[in-house]
Amino acid sequence: MKRRLAIKFNSILILMGVLIFLVTVGIGGYEYYQSIVNLYNEQAYQTAAMASTFFSDEQLYDWSETAFEVSKMEDPSGEIQKVTEDPEYVEILDHIRDLRDSVDANDIFVFVVDTEVLNNYTVEAHDAGTWRPMIYLADCYRESEYDFLFGDTGKVAYDYIGLMDKAIKTGEKPTEKIISDGGFGNNISAMYPVVRDGKTVLMVGVEIPMVLLERDLKVFMIVTLIAAAIATAILLLITSVHFARSIISPIKMISSEAGNFIENENQISEKLKTVKTKDEIQTLSEALLKMEIGINEYIDNLTRVTAEKERIGAELNIATQIQADMLPCIFPPFPEKKELDIYASMTPAKEVGGDFYDFFLLDDDHLALVMADVSGKGVPAALFMVISKTLIKDQAQSCRSPKTILETVNNQLNESNAQSMFVTVWLGIMEISTGKLVAANAGHEYPLLKGADGGFELIKDKHGMVLGAMEDLKYKEYELEVPENGCLFLYTDGVPEATDDQNNMFGTDRLLEALNEDPGADSTTLLKNVKKKVDEFVGGAPQFDDLTMLAVRRVKI
Amino acid sequence: MDMNFKNAGNELTVSLAGRLDTTTSPELEKELSTKLDDVGSLIFDFKDLEYISSAGLRVVLATQKTMNKKGSMKLINVNNNILEILEVTGMTDILTIE
Repeated sequence: MKRRLAIKFNSILILMGVLIFLVTVGIGGYEYYQSIVNLYNEQAYQTAAMASTFFSDEQLYDWSETAFEVSKMEDPSGEIQKVTEDPEYVEILDHIRDLRDSVDANDIFVFVVDTEVLNNYTVEAHDAGTWRPMIYLADCYRESEYDFLFGDTGKVAYDYIGLMDKAIKTGEKPTEKIISDGGFGNNISAMYPVVRDGKTVLMVGVEIPMVLLERDLKVFMIVTLIAAAIATAILLLITSVHFARSIISPIKMISSEAGNFIENENQISEKLKTVKTKDEIQTLSEALLKMEIGINEYIDNLTRVTAEKERIGAELNIATQIQADMLPCIFPPFPEKKELDIYASMTPAKEVGGDFYDFFLLDDDHLALVMADVSGKGVPAALFMVISKTLIKDQAQSCRSPKTILETVNNQLNESNAQSMFVTVWLGIMEISTGKLVAANAGHEYPLLKGADGGFELIKDKHGMVLGAMEDLKYKEYELEVPENGCLFLYTDGVPEATDDQNNMFGTDRLLEALNEDPGADSTTLLKNVKKKVDEFVGGAPQFDDLTMLAVRRVKI
Repeated sequence: MDMNFKNAGNELTVSLAGRLDTTTSPELEKELSTKLDDVGSLIFDFKDLEYISSAGLRVVLATQKTMNKKGSMKLINVNNNILEILEVTGMTDILTIE
């Protein structure tokens, strides 16, 4: 995994190196081959030209004519003998042989061509050997027993028919190189037309084995191969080392430092500062370093914020607990007063809310009952609830009139209420011995009252404004009576406004139904019944508001 | 909840639809805090308002107090459910309802 980059890089480098190497050697070899061939070609034609100078013009004309004639004769032996025994002819052959040996040629031969025959050939005749357009004047092969003699005819290889024809007609040597695979390796041949008065009189052929090509090309190739291989290898090594140093090793380092950062508890990779390549890799390295520092700062910050959040959460839990503890929660609250059956409960929603209930004895025969709901939720509502509850209880101690208590508390709350918080309050003071009750309502839900025999009924009492809305509001008092076996039920809007997942509200009708289900129930059972019904109604929907209830029953003793 | 604000001169009409409760009231309060500067007449259209909680009432009450200092405010198209809540809380005494 970690070596992959280096392997990739070096593979490509080696591949390219080999390619460059092969191309270099190929081109070099080809050029070398061409130059040697050109050299031999030049030598062959010079040799042919030299051989042609051995003949005088007269000899050229005479012997070429004789050769033509001889080739057409039925018995040419007399004519042939005349030429071959001519001392001048014998001397020329000796010269040619000397020349052949001096240039290391295989063969030097002089011939004329019957152009009519040359251009009328068939494959069958060529293959059968009956088509023989060449007529030899002299042939000096290196092994003399294979020599053609004066007047002998010979065939021309397929490939050279055109060349030969063209050379005879134009009197110029062919531009193409004639290379054949001889018994001594590659031979190069010259096909040299000897021209007099603008006409080709005869042809001189020279065949030279390209010995140097065999030997030198091999040597050249071997030397070139080794040199190129060494050069390529050095180049590869330098490039590889250079890349390894400037690219691969910094990247590997960055990669491993990034891994370390993750594994070693976010330890900043100081090594990243050492990358000084002055290119994108340095940028990458610096960016990574910056990112690591950024991540650590972010984590620190997050840790701090989370800790803060946890602290606030914990404090909020304590606040909720303090708030809940402010509500009387020991039942029965007045064990000596057997005629009173009081039960209350508050089920807070997710957040700290503003619901509260309260009950307390003003004297031996007077019980104050409070049910209230502060606008909104959360810490502001909870704080406002604490203030309201305290003020109400405080005022109730010195004054027995609910109307006056509410008016006073309203003004007190309005003294500093920039947030326009308000609280709905139902406040009643009951004479325990008679069940007579004086109450006032500051924007709170209607109370529910059960007579001695019948069921619970909604008391549509006279409402005043909520507390905290504005100063100097007036409230009205009214009287109620809770008979023996009667019961007063107080609640906050969380009960009738409990909502199911279809957005339907529980409502006062269902509340009355739940309360009247068990006429003989004591306060505790009553509240549990209502809670159960509300829970059934709401089902899986989340609880939005606090559920707060208070029931006071007068028991006959 | 959907809020719709419509300006006409120095008159601003705020149409509310859905539930104005603990979750949505802060949004309304925030919107109003930036829009009331040049308003002399504020109208709340409660035609499509389904429910208002005490948190919503607080925003309405606070807005009423703000408008008391600089102009007028009224509620229109208040349906029976909402009207009942306003009556129970005594709000009908200090709000102008048409």
